[in-house]
Amino acid sequence: MKKRTLLSMAMVATMALATFTGCGGSREGAATTDTAAETTEEAETTEAPAEESFPGFEDGATIGVSLPWLGTQNWKEAEEMFTAQLEEAGYKPIVQAADQKVTQQQQQIESMIENGAKVIVVGPVDGSQLGAVLEQAKEAGVYVIGYDRLLENTSGVDGVVQFGSVKTGELQAQALLQGLEEKKGEAPYNIELFGGGPADPNAPNFFTGAMSVLQPKIDDGTLVVVSGQTDFTQCATVDWDNAKAQSRMDSLLAGNYSDKEIDGVLSPNDGIARAIITSCENAGQEIPVVSGLDAENESVEWVWSGRQYSTVAKPTNDLVAKTIEIIDSLKAGNGMPATDVEVDNGVKNVRIYELPPVVVTKDNAKEVFANDPSRLELLK
Amino acid sequence: MKYIKQVLGGDLRQYTMVVALGLLILIFNVISDGRMLTSSNFQNLLSGNAYVLVLALGMLMVIVIGQIDLSVGSVAGFAGMVMALVAKNYNVPWWVAVLIALAIGILAGAWHGFFLSQLGIPGFITTLGGMMIFRGGVIWISRSISVPAPEELKWFGAGYLPEWGPSFTGMNNSTLVLGLIGIVCFAVGQIRKYNRSKNSPVGVTPLWAVVTRIALMTVLIGYFTYLFGSGRVGTSFPVPGLILLLLTIIYHIITQRTKFGRHVYAVGGNKAAAALSGVNVKRTYFLTMMNMSFLAAVAGILFVGRSTAAGPADGTSWEMDAIASVFIGGAAVSGGVGTILATIVGGMVMAVLNNGLMLMGVGADKTQVIKGFVLLAAVAFDVYNKKTGKASIIGRLFGGNEAKKTTK
Repeated sequence: MKKRTLLSMAMVATMALATFTGCGGSREGAATTDTAAETTEEAETTEAPAEESFPGFEDGATIGVSLPWLGTQNWKEAEEMFTAQLEEAGYKPIVQAADQKVTQQQQQIESMIENGAKVIVVGPVDGSQLGAVLEQAKEAGVYVIGYDRLLENTSGVDGVVQFGSVKTGELQAQALLQGLEEKKGEAPYNIELFGGGPADPNAPNFFTGAMSVLQPKIDDGTLVVVSGQTDFTQCATVDWDNAKAQSRMDSLLAGNYSDKEIDGVLSPNDGIARAIITSCENAGQEIPVVSGLDAENESVEWVWSGRQYSTVAKPTNDLVAKTIEIIDSLKAGNGMPATDVEVDNGVKNVRIYELPPVVVTKDNAKEVFANDPSRLELLK
Repeated sequence: MKYIKQVLGGDLRQYTMVVALGLLILIFNVISDGRMLTSSNFQNLLSGNAYVLVLALGMLMVIVIGQIDLSVGSVAGFAGMVMALVAKNYNVPWWVAVLIALAIGILAGAWHGFFLSQLGIPGFITTLGGMMIFRGGVIWISRSISVPAPEELKWFGAGYLPEWGPSFTGMNNSTLVLGLIGIVCFAVGQIRKYNRSKNSPVGVTPLWAVVTRIALMTVLIGYFTYLFGSGRVGTSFPVPGLILLLLTIIYHIITQRTKFGRHVYAVGGNKAAAALSGVNVKRTYFLTMMNMSFLAAVAGILFVGRSTAAGPADGTSWEMDAIASVFIGGAAVSGGVGTILATIVGGMVMAVLNNGLMLMGVGADKTQVIKGFVLLAAVAFDVYNKKTGKASIIGRLFGGNEAKKTTK
């Protein structure tokens, strides 16, 4: 009995020792090759100005992709495309989604750093709440690329790939005006305005872009915002939640349109557009001209059948391809490609890689989706 | 086996959850090729989960008095948002903003405590109301836009202890000192306990068992000191971890050693009996709820520090994580049972599970499913053991309050 106890104690002790020596971080000065390489890298970056040193990395490097969630079609597409295309390009992708939780995303990014990712692509849940984690990534020598949304309030970002968001808003507003002229006869037109989720830094930009087109028309009386709600905070839709947009539309209609007809609604995306249209139908209104964004399958069908006037396609494929192009450039040691657009994120000027979005109406849908067999399928 | 029992000081089965946690860490370490037991990962683990564990400390006491607090996430979000807004708009020093946030926590807790203790409205209802009030409040005052927080706050949420002294130690000296303090405190405590027990006729632990116990703990604390201290230069045992550690010690003492702590267990175990024996039930309810919201404010500050900004959705469903930690730690749904240390172990099980699955690249969806099963299994196991007449395993971790009662 006693022997056995002693034996098991010895075992526990050896196990403890084994873990003690086997694992654990190696601090500066330890004689492992890993740290040696790291220290030289550190030395390089401190000697040269940080902006100009872009060490490349090997084939088959790990690339982390952290997406906010998979709840809308464009994010689900992004997940699939990143996995497939990064593998095809010879990388080892880790693609994860954070279920709209900031904490989850912070921890995911940390685990990507742990997993030795060379580049981390971040589609943030909230662009301003990843500061400390991204700076940690930068200290670990990881490149950080923002995907689709700006990363604010942090120095730990190397560039952002997105569709021009102000431009997107302008296109939405132009499509709305065009639709009103086409479908609703003579001015003035009664319209309402909707904005996106305020935590998404793109949302105010969409709205700003749209208002730059609409405001002059409101001022000259062509457009009438019957509810008088023209401020972004009044029009915003928390979390891009379709249900919240629908209930706001319900109360707008009940409060302002009992004796009027609504002609048009500015909607920041497709989900909200469909919520608005449903709300108008329930209220017995004729369907107004509604803008959209993302070219979700259901909305492409609605555009084709005429229920939703327009949507704006931001082909996920282009965005993913551009991101991988940047990753390739980083791998070769060429650093971040040049760009004309830089935006102040509150801490530093961040390079922005803007891609042009495309307006889709019933008239041009077939052309826009010519290379997209799954969406072309919907146009029947 | 008898000897091991003597070293561990009681029934081996008490340690189920601790063993489960250790196994979980080792298994994940093997599966992830040693990426689990690294300095940076454990630093992240603590910084990233400190806020949930801080909430769990307060939630344990709330659950022990037989109530529940659904408002903690919203209160945390509200306090964090007020702090960020005050610092940004009124240009006050960061520490004033922190004090205001803590004051808001205490006021929110007093509000809940008032309705529960004076008007007798169940905690579930009171705090459901609080959850809506404070969530709405966050969105209202922030206009749903994230607000950057003062730079200094980053130290609380993601900071490290200073580097100083000789470099031949090969690790962060602040962490080293912390580890040494831990070992010395444990050793002194054990020796004093041994000296006291020598004079009492019952339950004398042999000296060799005490020495082995100290030796094992020294190895364990030593290992973690090394793990936390030997990371990249500039990193150490993380500041949020230190805050959590201090709060854990404080609340362990409050619940186990003070009159208020005994009242909490008495009220939770049998309210009528407690009232008849002179315990001020209303006061106990009030203080417990107030303390919970105070800790919620602390959690909110830690989180804002780590995120560098306060957002409108901060704190969403944090209450659920805290409640899960408490129940995995073996607290009883009916109240009266549960300890601070077991709750921390329960919270760490969830945290390690989350972290390990992430290192393996498992998605948030599947992680959620697995965590759900673990919660259910842990509580079912506990309930089963009680029903079959065996001693409650997890609830008596570290010789908790229930164990004391049964020995009487």
